[in-house]
Amino acid sequence: MSRLNFMRSAFAPVAFCVALLASTVGSLPAQAANADPAAEAWVSNVSQQAIKIISDKSLDRTGREAQFAALLGTNADMQRIAAFCLGQFLRTPTPDQKNEYIKLFDNFVVKVYVTRLSDYHDEKLVITGSQLKGDTQALVQSQINFTNGREPVKVTWWLLKKDGGYKLFDVNVVGVWLAQEQRSAFTSVINNHGGDFTALLDHLKQQIADAENGKLPTTAATTAQ
Amino acid sequence: MTVVARIANAGAKTACIVLAVALAGCATRPDASNPAAVKAFEETNDPIEPLNRYFFELNRFLDIIILKPVATWYQGVVPDPARNSVRHFMDNLDSPVILANDSLQGEWGRAGVTASRFGINTTIGVLGLFDPATGMGYPQHDEDFGQTLATWDTPEGPYLFLPILGPKPPRDLAGYAVDQFFDPLTYIYWNGPYTVPVARFVVNGVDIRSRNLKTLDQIERTSVDYYATVRSLYRQMRVNEIANGNVSSEKLPDIENLNFDTNEPQAVAPTK
Repeated sequence: MSRLNFMRSAFAPVAFCVALLASTVGSLPAQAANADPAAEAWVSNVSQQAIKIISDKSLDRTGREAQFAALLGTNADMQRIAAFCLGQFLRTPTPDQKNEYIKLFDNFVVKVYVTRLSDYHDEKLVITGSQLKGDTQALVQSQINFTNGREPVKVTWWLLKKDGGYKLFDVNVVGVWLAQEQRSAFTSVINNHGGDFTALLDHLKQQIADAENGKLPTTAATTAQ
Repeated sequence: MTVVARIANAGAKTACIVLAVALAGCATRPDASNPAAVKAFEETNDPIEPLNRYFFELNRFLDIIILKPVATWYQGVVPDPARNSVRHFMDNLDSPVILANDSLQGEWGRAGVTASRFGINTTIGVLGLFDPATGMGYPQHDEDFGQTLATWDTPEGPYLFLPILGPKPPRDLAGYAVDQFFDPLTYIYWNGPYTVPVARFVVNGVDIRSRNLKTLDQIERTSVDYYATVRSLYRQMRVNEIANGNVSSEKLPDIENLNFDTNEPQAVAPTK
């Protein structure tokens, strides 16, 4: 108990210092000249929908994946992302392989990110800024603030303007662009099988099957804490 | 045979084995007639990939039999506040190295933050066990000599994955070596010349691993190629650290006209 009291008395001057500092540091940085408020609103809306799907405990895995797939389908430029992830092998697949790849890719992305995003259920995403990139692209900066005192995570959204609206192209989480990460894995698989495109298709099928057989921790309900 | 001769002999044998593995471990360079493949090969910049993959698997093995069990045990048995104090203590010990590199990069503002953190956390924070500095507007950041070299325009060099140490391309390996000289702990002799640095390395490794149990598990299970994913993650994270967390909009790949039907693959498009 006495230690607690010591902590408390030690914190009084600290709290005073914090108050002093806050008053000087408190002013937020001015908004950039080429900010894109419409893109910020778009990201805020889409991310809220995503967090809602991931946090919805009434959904089972299939239901959650279906809703997430629908959200990605309407808001992300999946074809372009799929093309990007092939890198140097964009021209390699035959038309049949290409169609199969696009289908598998959609499925794979949904399964991977429903899993990886399960940590972020019930968290809040705050938009911190944006800038236009050329005439047709925008970057939106945001931050996930955790309720359990974990350090905030910086997330940057890369959008393309399309038909008067926006489409998501890539997301950067603490410095890592997710599509670039996938591209390096995909091209590496094809490379290590002597340029054989079916190797990638097989790997994707395997990953999807593993996820369906419950080898992946997928649901918000199972992530205790 | 004298002891010296025996050691020299063993050394020569080891050198031969390492050399043989290294030669066998070279990735085949693609045919020069295929510019897209050559460019992709250079972008991947992993000429000794087979050897790197070998060490990667070795580390995964060591992780499975030692590090992961210890980290899981550590996370399960030691309560959160105690583990956070361990983390703060380790971070505080890093301060001299971070301060040296802040200064070498001419980042005087950040050097000030590091010095203030060290002062506050070592005193009010009881020898670094607590981190009141973050709440006072001096958040933690990381620097190392690899990053300093990068700000001096030193390229990263080919990818290199080492046993125990993990991803250490030449620039970061050199940086790691130099940081040992900046580190006062290196010069502490307690029960032997390496006791303190080794203990620190081990505790730091266990703590970091315990904080990434779930994340690394998820990445491993959701990757079509775990090795290539880790390589990409390492490089992207380094770029991010070097830029002090500022995501640049200029260095992004050109995706404006990229799609399956019209555009040439990005790897073929002339960049100059």
